[in-house]
Amino acid sequence: MARPTSFGRDTGLQLRMALTLFLLGLVYVILIVALLASGASGVTVALIAGGLAVFQLFGSDKLALRAMGAREVTPAEAPELHAMIDRLCVQADLPKPKVAVADTRMPNAFALGRSPKNATVCATTGIMELLSPAELEGVMAHELTHVANRDVLVMTLAAFFATIAAYIVQFGFLFGGGSSDDDDNPSAMVLFLVSIGVYVVSFFLMQALSRYREFAADRGAALITGRPSALASALTRISSGMDRIPQSDLRAQKELAAFYIFPPGAGKAIGGLFSTHPPMEKRIAALERLERQLQGVPA
Amino acid sequence: MGIFDVLTGKRKVKQPAESRLFAMATAAITLEMSLELKSSRKAAIVFQPLATADFSSIVSDMEEVLRGTGEDTGTGVERTDDAFGYRWMVLSDDEFEDLVVGINVVSQALQDGGYGERILCAVFAFRDPQDNPVYWIYNYKRGTYYPFVPAGGDQRRDSERELRLKAQIGHELPVEAELERWFPLWGIPI
Repeated sequence: MARPTSFGRDTGLQLRMALTLFLLGLVYVILIVALLASGASGVTVALIAGGLAVFQLFGSDKLALRAMGAREVTPAEAPELHAMIDRLCVQADLPKPKVAVADTRMPNAFALGRSPKNATVCATTGIMELLSPAELEGVMAHELTHVANRDVLVMTLAAFFATIAAYIVQFGFLFGGGSSDDDDNPSAMVLFLVSIGVYVVSFFLMQALSRYREFAADRGAALITGRPSALASALTRISSGMDRIPQSDLRAQKELAAFYIFPPGAGKAIGGLFSTHPPMEKRIAALERLERQLQGVPA
Repeated sequence: MGIFDVLTGKRKVKQPAESRLFAMATAAITLEMSLELKSSRKAAIVFQPLATADFSSIVSDMEEVLRGTGEDTGTGVERTDDAFGYRWMVLSDDEFEDLVVGINVVSQALQDGGYGERILCAVFAFRDPQDNPVYWIYNYKRGTYYPFVPAGGDQRRDSERELRLKAQIGHELPVEAELERWFPLWGIPI
Protein backbone atom coordinates (compact mmCIF):
# COMPACT_ATOMS: atom_id res chain seq x y z
CA MET A 1 0.00 0.00 0.00
CA ALA A 2 1.32 3.41 -0.93
CA ARG A 3 1.92 6.11 1.59
CA PRO A 4 -1.20 8.27 1.96
CA THR A 5 0.20 11.39 0.36
CA SER A 6 -3.21 13.03 0.41
CA PHE A 7 -3.04 13.27 4.21
CA GLY A 8 -3.95 16.83 5.16
CA ARG A 9 -4.78 17.96 1.65
CA ASP A 10 -7.90 20.10 1.60
CA THR A 11 -7.99 22.28 -1.48
CA GLY A 12 -11.55 23.41 -0.77
CA LEU A 13 -10.54 24.88 2.56
CA GLN A 14 -7.56 26.68 1.02
CA LEU A 15 -9.78 28.13 -1.70
CA ARG A 16 -12.46 29.26 0.71
CA MET A 17 -9.91 30.90 2.94
CA ALA A 18 -8.24 32.67 0.01
CA LEU A 19 -11.63 33.85 -1.28
CA THR A 20 -12.61 35.18 2.15
CA LEU A 21 -9.33 37.07 2.45
CA PHE A 22 -9.78 38.46 -1.04
CA LEU A 23 -13.31 39.69 -0.31
CA LEU A 24 -12.18 41.16 2.99
CA GLY A 25 -9.41 43.02 1.18
CA LEU A 26 -11.88 44.28 -1.39
CA VAL A 27 -14.26 45.61 1.24
CA TYR A 28 -11.40 47.31 3.02
CA VAL A 29 -10.16 49.00 -0.14
CA ILE A 30 -13.60 50.59 -0.44
CA LEU A 31 -13.32 51.82 3.14
CA ILE A 32 -9.81 53.21 2.60
CA VAL A 33 -10.98 55.14 -0.45
CA ALA A 34 -13.89 56.56 1.55
CA LEU A 35 -11.55 57.41 4.42
CA LEU A 36 -9.14 59.29 2.19
CA ALA A 37 -11.98 61.07 0.44
CA SER A 38 -13.42 62.25 3.74
CA GLY A 39 -10.23 64.10 4.67
CA ALA A 40 -8.66 64.70 8.04
CA SER A 41 -11.27 63.33 10.42
CA GLY A 42 -11.30 59.91 8.77
CA VAL A 43 -7.53 59.66 8.82
CA THR A 44 -7.49 60.60 12.52
CA VAL A 45 -9.87 57.77 13.33
CA ALA A 46 -7.67 55.38 11.33
CA LEU A 47 -4.61 56.45 13.30
CA ILE A 48 -6.37 56.00 16.64
CA ALA A 49 -7.64 52.57 15.62
CA GLY A 50 -4.15 51.67 14.40
CA GLY A 51 -2.69 52.60 17.77
CA LEU A 52 -5.26 50.49 19.56
CA ALA A 53 -4.57 47.53 17.28
CA VAL A 54 -0.84 47.79 17.98
CA PHE A 55 -1.52 48.00 21.69
CA GLN A 56 -3.77 44.97 21.40
CA LEU A 57 -1.07 43.02 19.56
CA PHE A 58 1.71 43.87 21.95
CA GLY A 59 0.03 44.37 25.29
CA SER A 60 -3.08 42.29 25.51
CA ASP A 61 -1.55 38.89 26.32
CA LYS A 62 -1.03 39.55 29.99
CA LEU A 63 -4.41 41.23 30.32
CA ALA A 64 -6.14 38.35 28.62
CA LEU A 65 -4.37 35.80 30.77
CA ARG A 66 -5.34 37.70 33.88
CA ALA A 67 -8.92 38.03 32.70
CA MET A 68 -9.02 34.24 32.37
CA GLY A 69 -7.51 33.74 35.81
CA ALA A 70 -4.59 31.96 34.19
CA ARG A 71 -0.99 32.02 35.31
CA GLU A 72 2.22 30.80 33.78
CA VAL A 73 3.45 27.50 35.17
CA THR A 74 7.00 26.17 35.41
CA PRO A 75 7.95 22.65 34.27
CA ALA A 76 8.14 21.61 37.93
CA GLU A 77 4.55 22.75 38.55
CA ALA A 78 3.02 21.06 35.51
CA PRO A 79 5.53 18.42 34.38
CA GLU A 80 3.20 16.42 32.15
CA LEU A 81 1.76 19.42 30.32
CA HIS A 82 5.25 20.80 29.74
CA ALA A 83 6.63 17.46 28.55
CA MET A 84 3.69 17.07 26.18
CA ILE A 85 4.19 20.55 24.72
CA ASP A 86 7.95 19.98 24.44
CA ARG A 87 7.35 16.98 22.23
CA LEU A 88 4.71 18.69 20.14
CA CYS A 89 7.06 21.63 19.61
CA VAL A 90 9.76 19.31 18.29
CA GLN A 91 7.22 17.75 15.92
CA ALA A 92 5.83 21.10 14.79
CA ASP A 93 9.31 22.68 14.66
CA LEU A 94 8.25 25.55 16.92
CA PRO A 95 10.13 27.30 19.71
CA LYS A 96 8.66 26.56 23.10
CA PRO A 97 5.78 28.89 24.02
CA LYS A 98 4.96 29.96 27.55
CA VAL A 99 2.66 27.49 29.24
CA ALA A 100 -0.18 28.70 31.44
CA VAL A 101 -2.91 27.02 33.43
CA ALA A 102 -6.28 28.52 34.34
CA ASP A 103 -7.83 27.18 37.48
CA THR A 104 -11.39 26.60 36.36
CA ARG A 105 -13.54 23.55 35.93
CA MET A 106 -14.64 24.59 32.46
CA PRO A 107 -12.76 22.34 30.00
CA ASN A 108 -11.04 24.64 27.53
CA ALA A 109 -7.72 25.70 26.07
CA PHE A 110 -6.52 28.72 24.12
CA ALA A 111 -3.46 30.29 22.55
CA LEU A 112 -2.27 33.89 22.69
CA GLY A 113 0.54 35.91 21.19
CA ARG A 114 1.37 37.63 17.94
CA SER A 115 4.24 35.39 16.88
CA PRO A 116 5.60 31.94 17.73
CA LYS A 117 8.35 33.55 19.81
CA ASN A 118 5.84 35.48 21.94
CA ALA A 119 3.19 32.83 22.29
CA THR A 120 1.40 31.48 25.31
CA VAL A 121 -0.73 28.36 25.35
CA CYS A 122 -3.15 27.86 28.17
CA ALA A 123 -5.16 24.89 29.37
CA THR A 124 -7.74 24.88 32.14
CA THR A 125 -7.50 22.47 35.03
CA GLY A 126 -10.91 21.22 33.89
CA ILE A 127 -9.66 20.08 30.49
CA MET A 128 -6.63 18.38 32.00
CA GLU A 129 -8.89 16.35 34.28
CA LEU A 130 -11.45 15.59 31.62
CA LEU A 131 -9.30 14.36 28.73
CA SER A 132 -7.01 11.38 28.28
CA PRO A 133 -3.36 12.19 27.47
CA ALA A 134 -3.83 11.47 23.75
CA GLU A 135 -6.92 13.69 23.59
CA LEU A 136 -5.22 16.50 25.50
CA GLU A 137 -2.27 16.18 23.12
CA GLY A 138 -4.65 16.74 20.20
CA VAL A 139 -6.08 19.85 21.85
CA MET A 140 -2.66 21.30 22.65
CA ALA A 141 -1.53 20.54 19.07
CA HIS A 142 -4.60 22.47 17.87
CA GLU A 143 -3.51 25.46 19.99
CA LEU A 144 0.09 25.18 18.81
CA THR A 145 -1.17 25.21 15.21
CA HIS A 146 -2.94 28.49 15.99
CA VAL A 147 0.49 29.73 17.11
CA ALA A 148 2.27 28.35 14.03
CA ASN A 149 -0.36 29.84 11.72
CA ARG A 150 -0.06 33.19 13.54
CA ASP A 151 -3.80 33.31 13.93
CA VAL A 152 -3.77 36.11 16.50
CA LEU A 153 -1.81 38.32 14.10
CA VAL A 154 -3.90 37.39 11.07
CA MET A 155 -7.19 37.93 12.86
CA THR A 156 -6.05 41.21 14.44
CA LEU A 157 -4.93 42.53 11.08
CA ALA A 158 -8.06 41.23 9.40
CA ALA A 159 -10.10 43.00 12.06
CA PHE A 160 -8.13 46.24 11.77
CA PHE A 161 -10.29 47.99 9.18
CA ALA A 162 -13.44 46.47 10.60
CA THR A 163 -12.47 48.18 13.86
CA ILE A 164 -12.05 51.50 12.07
CA ALA A 165 -15.43 51.07 10.45
CA ALA A 166 -16.94 50.27 13.84
CA TYR A 167 -15.48 53.44 15.34
CA ILE A 168 -16.83 55.55 12.53
CA VAL A 169 -20.25 53.99 12.91
CA GLN A 170 -20.20 54.60 16.65
CA PHE A 171 -18.82 58.12 16.58
CA GLY A 172 -19.98 59.08 13.13
CA PHE A 173 -22.59 61.43 14.51
CA LEU A 174 -19.85 63.39 16.23
CA PHE A 175 -18.11 64.09 12.94
CA GLY A 176 -21.29 64.71 11.10
CA GLY A 177 -22.77 66.70 13.96
CA GLY A 178 -19.70 68.93 14.33
CA SER A 179 -21.04 71.24 11.70
CA SER A 180 -24.64 72.15 12.26
CA ASP A 181 -26.02 70.77 9.01
CA ASP A 182 -24.97 67.71 7.05
CA ASP A 183 -25.00 69.46 3.68
CA ASP A 184 -21.68 71.10 4.58
CA ASN A 185 -19.97 67.79 4.73
CA PRO A 186 -21.41 65.26 2.33
CA SER A 187 -18.24 63.14 2.35
CA ALA A 188 -18.66 62.49 6.09
CA MET A 189 -22.14 61.16 5.40
CA VAL A 190 -20.80 58.95 2.62
CA LEU A 191 -18.06 57.71 4.90
CA PHE A 192 -20.64 56.95 7.57
CA LEU A 193 -22.76 54.91 5.19
CA VAL A 194 -19.76 53.10 3.69
CA SER A 195 -18.59 52.27 7.19
CA ILE A 196 -21.91 50.68 8.09
CA GLY A 197 -21.70 48.57 4.95
CA VAL A 198 -18.08 47.62 5.56
CA TYR A 199 -18.79 46.82 9.18
CA VAL A 200 -21.66 44.47 8.38
CA VAL A 201 -19.97 42.69 5.47
CA SER A 202 -16.60 42.37 7.18
CA PHE A 203 -18.31 41.00 10.28
CA PHE A 204 -19.59 38.01 8.36
CA LEU A 205 -16.32 37.59 6.47
CA MET A 206 -14.37 37.67 9.72
CA GLN A 207 -16.58 35.05 11.27
CA ALA A 208 -16.14 32.86 8.19
CA LEU A 209 -12.37 33.37 8.27
CA SER A 210 -12.30 32.45 11.94
CA ARG A 211 -14.19 29.23 11.23
CA TYR A 212 -11.82 28.32 8.40
CA ARG A 213 -8.86 28.89 10.66
CA GLU A 214 -10.40 26.56 13.21
CA PHE A 215 -10.61 23.89 10.53
CA ALA A 216 -7.00 24.63 9.61
CA ALA A 217 -5.96 24.32 13.26
CA ASP A 218 -7.79 20.98 13.58
CA ARG A 219 -6.04 19.79 10.45
CA GLY A 220 -2.68 21.03 11.72
CA ALA A 221 -3.22 19.22 15.02
CA ALA A 222 -4.02 16.00 13.17
CA LEU A 223 -0.85 16.40 11.09
CA ILE A 224 1.35 17.03 14.12
CA THR A 225 0.02 14.21 16.26
CA GLY A 226 -0.91 11.79 13.49
CA ARG A 227 -4.06 11.03 15.47
CA PRO A 228 -7.09 12.81 14.01
CA SER A 229 -9.49 10.59 15.92
CA ALA A 230 -7.98 11.52 19.28
CA LEU A 231 -8.84 15.18 18.64
CA ALA A 232 -12.32 14.22 17.43
CA SER A 233 -12.86 12.27 20.62
CA ALA A 234 -11.59 15.21 22.66
CA LEU A 235 -14.06 17.53 20.91
CA THR A 236 -17.04 15.32 21.68
CA ARG A 237 -15.95 14.98 25.25
CA ILE A 238 -15.38 18.71 25.71
CA SER A 239 -18.72 19.60 24.15
CA SER A 240 -20.64 17.24 26.39
CA GLY A 241 -18.63 18.49 29.36
CA MET A 242 -19.42 22.08 28.38
CA ASP A 243 -23.13 21.47 28.44
CA ARG A 244 -23.06 20.04 31.91
CA ILE A 245 -21.30 23.05 33.34
CA PRO A 246 -23.06 26.40 33.63
CA GLN A 247 -21.60 29.06 31.36
CA SER A 248 -22.96 32.27 32.82
CA ASP A 249 -20.06 33.18 35.08
CA LEU A 250 -17.42 32.65 32.45
CA ARG A 251 -18.33 34.97 29.65
CA ALA A 252 -14.97 35.84 28.26
CA GLN A 253 -14.11 38.72 25.98
CA LYS A 254 -15.16 38.22 22.43
CA GLU A 255 -11.70 38.47 20.87
CA LEU A 256 -10.55 35.70 23.14
CA ALA A 257 -13.35 33.44 22.06
CA ALA A 258 -11.84 33.07 18.62
CA PHE A 259 -8.89 31.14 19.96
CA TYR A 260 -10.60 28.78 22.28
CA ILE A 261 -10.55 25.14 21.37
CA PHE A 262 -14.25 25.34 21.95
CA PRO A 263 -16.18 28.60 22.24
CA PRO A 264 -17.90 29.41 25.51
CA GLY A 265 -21.65 29.35 25.05
CA ALA A 266 -21.43 26.96 22.13
CA GLY A 267 -24.32 24.96 23.46
CA LYS A 268 -26.72 27.70 22.50
CA ALA A 269 -28.27 27.74 19.08
CA ILE A 270 -26.29 30.35 17.20
CA GLY A 271 -26.81 30.75 13.50
CA GLY A 272 -23.89 29.33 11.55
CA LEU A 273 -23.03 32.70 10.08
CA PHE A 274 -22.62 34.32 13.46
CA SER A 275 -20.27 31.88 15.10
CA THR A 276 -16.50 32.02 15.36
CA HIS A 277 -16.23 28.23 15.50
CA PRO A 278 -17.61 25.69 13.02
CA PRO A 279 -20.25 23.36 14.41
CA MET A 280 -18.94 20.31 16.19
CA GLU A 281 -20.34 17.83 13.70
CA LYS A 282 -18.52 19.53 10.84
CA ARG A 283 -15.24 19.57 12.72
CA ILE A 284 -15.59 15.91 13.58
CA ALA A 285 -16.51 15.07 9.99
CA ALA A 286 -13.39 16.93 8.80
CA LEU A 287 -11.25 15.01 11.27
CA GLU A 288 -12.84 11.77 10.11
CA ARG A 289 -11.86 12.67 6.55
CA LEU A 290 -8.29 13.19 7.75
CA GLU A 291 -8.31 9.82 9.48
CA ARG A 292 -9.48 8.19 6.24
CA GLN A 293 -6.71 9.96 4.30
CA LEU A 294 -4.22 8.78 6.89
CA GLN A 295 -5.46 5.20 6.72
CA GLY A 296 -5.36 5.34 2.93
CA VAL A 297 -9.07 4.59 2.62
CA PRO A 298 -10.52 6.16 -0.51
CA ALA A 299 -12.98 8.93 0.27
CA MET B 1 7.14 29.66 6.47
CA GLY B 2 5.95 31.81 3.61
CA ILE B 3 3.26 34.46 3.63
CA PHE B 4 0.91 32.12 1.79
CA ASP B 5 1.27 29.54 4.54
CA VAL B 6 0.48 32.21 7.14
CA LEU B 7 -2.60 33.40 5.27
CA THR B 8 -4.08 30.02 4.49
CA GLY B 9 -2.79 27.94 7.38
CA LYS B 10 0.19 25.65 7.37
CA ARG B 11 -0.48 22.32 5.73
CA LYS B 12 2.68 20.31 6.19
CA VAL B 13 4.60 18.95 9.11
CA LYS B 14 8.29 19.61 8.66
CA GLN B 15 10.27 16.74 7.18
CA PRO B 16 13.68 15.80 8.58
CA ALA B 17 16.53 18.12 7.67
CA GLU B 18 19.54 16.77 5.84
CA SER B 19 20.92 14.17 8.16
CA ARG B 20 23.90 15.10 10.28
CA LEU B 21 23.34 12.14 12.56
CA PHE B 22 26.72 10.62 11.79
CA ALA B 23 28.59 13.58 13.25
CA MET B 24 28.07 11.80 16.57
CA ALA B 25 30.21 8.85 15.49
CA THR B 26 33.37 10.96 15.56
CA ALA B 27 32.25 13.36 18.29
CA ALA B 28 31.82 10.42 20.65
CA ILE B 29 35.59 9.86 20.53
CA THR B 30 36.21 13.45 21.63
CA LEU B 31 33.56 13.12 24.32
CA GLU B 32 35.30 10.09 25.74
CA MET B 33 38.91 11.20 25.29
CA SER B 34 38.85 14.81 26.44
CA LEU B 35 35.57 15.19 28.33
CA GLU B 36 35.56 11.85 30.16
CA LEU B 37 32.08 11.04 28.97
CA LYS B 38 31.70 7.36 28.25
CA SER B 39 28.93 5.96 26.13
CA SER B 40 26.43 4.01 28.19
CA ARG B 41 26.44 1.60 25.22
CA LYS B 42 22.87 2.53 24.53
CA ALA B 43 21.05 4.80 22.13
CA ALA B 44 17.41 5.26 21.28
CA ILE B 45 15.22 6.69 18.58
CA VAL B 46 11.79 8.08 19.43
CA PHE B 47 8.87 8.33 17.04
CA GLN B 48 5.08 8.54 16.96
CA PRO B 49 3.63 5.17 15.98
CA LEU B 50 0.67 5.79 13.70
CA ALA B 51 -2.30 3.49 14.05
CA THR B 52 -2.38 2.54 10.37
CA ALA B 53 -1.77 -0.80 8.70
CA ASP B 54 0.78 0.76 6.37
CA PHE B 55 2.81 2.23 9.19
CA SER B 56 2.70 -0.97 11.27
CA SER B 57 4.06 -3.01 8.39
CA ILE B 58 6.91 -0.54 7.80
CA VAL B 59 7.81 -0.66 11.49
CA SER B 60 7.71 -4.45 11.70
CA ASP B 61 9.81 -4.77 8.53
CA MET B 62 12.28 -2.30 9.98
CA GLU B 63 12.48 -4.22 13.25
CA GLU B 64 13.13 -7.41 11.38
CA VAL B 65 16.00 -5.83 9.46
CA LEU B 66 17.36 -4.37 12.67
CA ARG B 67 17.27 -7.70 14.50
CA GLY B 68 18.76 -9.44 11.47
CA THR B 69 21.76 -7.14 11.25
CA GLY B 70 21.89 -7.04 15.04
CA GLU B 71 22.78 -10.74 15.05
CA ASP B 72 25.91 -9.95 13.04
CA THR B 73 26.96 -6.79 14.86
CA GLY B 74 25.76 -7.80 18.32
CA THR B 75 23.27 -4.96 18.57
CA GLY B 76 20.44 -5.55 21.00
CA VAL B 77 17.00 -4.14 20.14
CA GLU B 78 14.29 -3.29 22.63
CA ARG B 79 10.95 -1.61 22.07
CA THR B 80 8.97 0.38 24.62
CA ASP B 81 6.03 2.77 24.41
CA ASP B 82 6.06 5.69 26.83
CA ALA B 83 3.23 7.43 28.68
CA PHE B 84 2.94 10.05 25.92
CA GLY B 85 2.28 7.43 23.26
CA TYR B 86 5.72 7.66 21.65
CA ARG B 87 7.67 4.56 20.73
CA TRP B 88 11.26 4.11 21.81
CA MET B 89 13.53 1.74 19.90
CA VAL B 90 16.39 1.20 22.32
CA LEU B 91 19.59 -0.19 20.83
CA SER B 92 22.49 -1.52 22.86
CA ASP B 93 25.93 -2.27 21.51
CA ASP B 94 29.50 -2.09 22.77
CA GLU B 95 30.62 -0.52 19.50
CA PHE B 96 29.45 3.08 19.44
CA GLU B 97 29.48 3.23 15.67
CA ASP B 98 27.06 0.32 15.42
CA LEU B 99 24.64 2.32 17.57
CA VAL B 100 24.74 5.25 15.15
CA VAL B 101 24.31 2.91 12.20
CA GLY B 102 21.39 1.16 13.91
CA ILE B 103 19.64 4.47 14.64
CA ASN B 104 20.13 5.42 11.03
CA VAL B 105 18.55 2.14 9.89
CA VAL B 106 15.39 3.00 11.84
CA SER B 107 15.14 6.61 10.68
CA GLN B 108 15.97 5.69 7.10
CA ALA B 109 13.28 2.99 7.05
CA LEU B 110 10.68 5.48 8.33
CA GLN B 111 11.79 8.12 5.85
CA ASP B 112 11.78 5.69 2.92
CA GLY B 113 8.28 4.65 3.94
CA GLY B 114 7.27 8.32 3.71
CA TYR B 115 6.89 8.80 7.45
CA GLY B 116 10.01 10.84 8.18
CA GLU B 117 7.97 13.57 9.84
CA ARG B 118 6.88 11.12 12.56
CA ILE B 119 10.40 10.89 14.02
CA LEU B 120 10.79 12.92 17.20
CA CYS B 121 14.47 12.54 17.98
CA ALA B 122 17.39 10.23 18.64
CA VAL B 123 19.08 10.04 22.02
CA PHE B 124 22.67 9.02 22.76
CA ALA B 125 23.39 8.30 26.40
CA PHE B 126 26.71 8.97 28.11
CA ARG B 127 27.91 8.68 31.69
CA ASP B 128 30.35 10.99 33.43
CA PRO B 129 33.01 9.61 35.85
CA GLN B 130 30.48 9.95 38.71
CA ASP B 131 28.10 7.81 36.66
CA ASN B 132 25.59 10.64 36.14
CA PRO B 133 23.76 10.54 32.84
CA VAL B 134 24.53 13.03 30.09
CA TYR B 135 22.43 12.88 26.95
CA TRP B 136 22.93 14.20 23.47
CA ILE B 137 19.63 14.56 21.66
CA TYR B 138 19.45 14.71 17.87
CA ASN B 139 16.54 16.75 16.48
CA TYR B 140 15.78 15.28 13.05
CA LYS B 141 13.68 18.21 11.85
CA ARG B 142 16.52 20.62 12.36
CA GLY B 143 19.48 18.30 11.89
CA THR B 144 21.04 19.51 15.13
CA TYR B 145 22.23 18.06 18.40
CA TYR B 146 21.83 19.49 21.88
CA PRO B 147 22.97 18.31 25.30
CA PHE B 148 20.52 17.36 28.03
CA VAL B 149 21.76 16.81 31.59
CA PRO B 150 19.12 15.94 34.20
CA ALA B 151 20.19 17.36 37.54
CA GLY B 152 18.45 14.84 39.78
CA GLY B 153 15.24 15.76 41.56
CA ASP B 154 12.10 16.31 39.58
CA GLN B 155 12.27 18.09 36.24
CA ARG B 156 15.51 19.90 36.89
CA ARG B 157 18.31 20.16 34.39
CA ASP B 158 21.87 21.28 34.76
CA SER B 159 21.83 24.14 32.25
CA GLU B 160 25.31 25.31 33.21
CA ARG B 161 26.77 21.92 32.36
CA GLU B 162 24.81 21.80 29.11
CA LEU B 163 26.16 25.18 28.04
CA ARG B 164 29.67 24.13 28.98
CA LEU B 165 29.28 20.97 26.92
CA LYS B 166 28.19 23.06 23.96
CA ALA B 167 31.37 25.15 24.30
CA GLN B 168 33.57 22.11 24.81
CA ILE B 169 32.34 20.13 21.85
CA GLY B 170 32.87 23.15 19.59
CA HIS B 171 32.34 22.44 15.94
CA GLU B 172 32.52 18.69 16.13
CA LEU B 173 28.75 18.49 16.43
CA PRO B 174 26.16 20.68 14.76
CA VAL B 175 24.75 22.10 18.02
CA GLU B 176 21.30 23.70 18.02
CA ALA B 177 21.87 27.47 18.13
CA GLU B 178 18.49 28.46 19.58
CA LEU B 179 18.51 27.63 23.27
CA GLU B 180 14.71 27.68 23.45
CA ARG B 181 14.78 24.58 21.28
CA TRP B 182 16.82 22.55 23.72
CA PHE B 183 13.70 20.61 24.65
CA PRO B 184 14.09 18.38 27.69
CA LEU B 185 13.07 14.74 27.49
CA TRP B 186 12.22 13.41 30.91
CA GLY B 187 12.26 9.78 31.85
CA ILE B 188 14.74 8.66 29.19
CA PRO B 189 14.92 4.86 29.62
CA ILE B 190 18.62 4.54 28.72
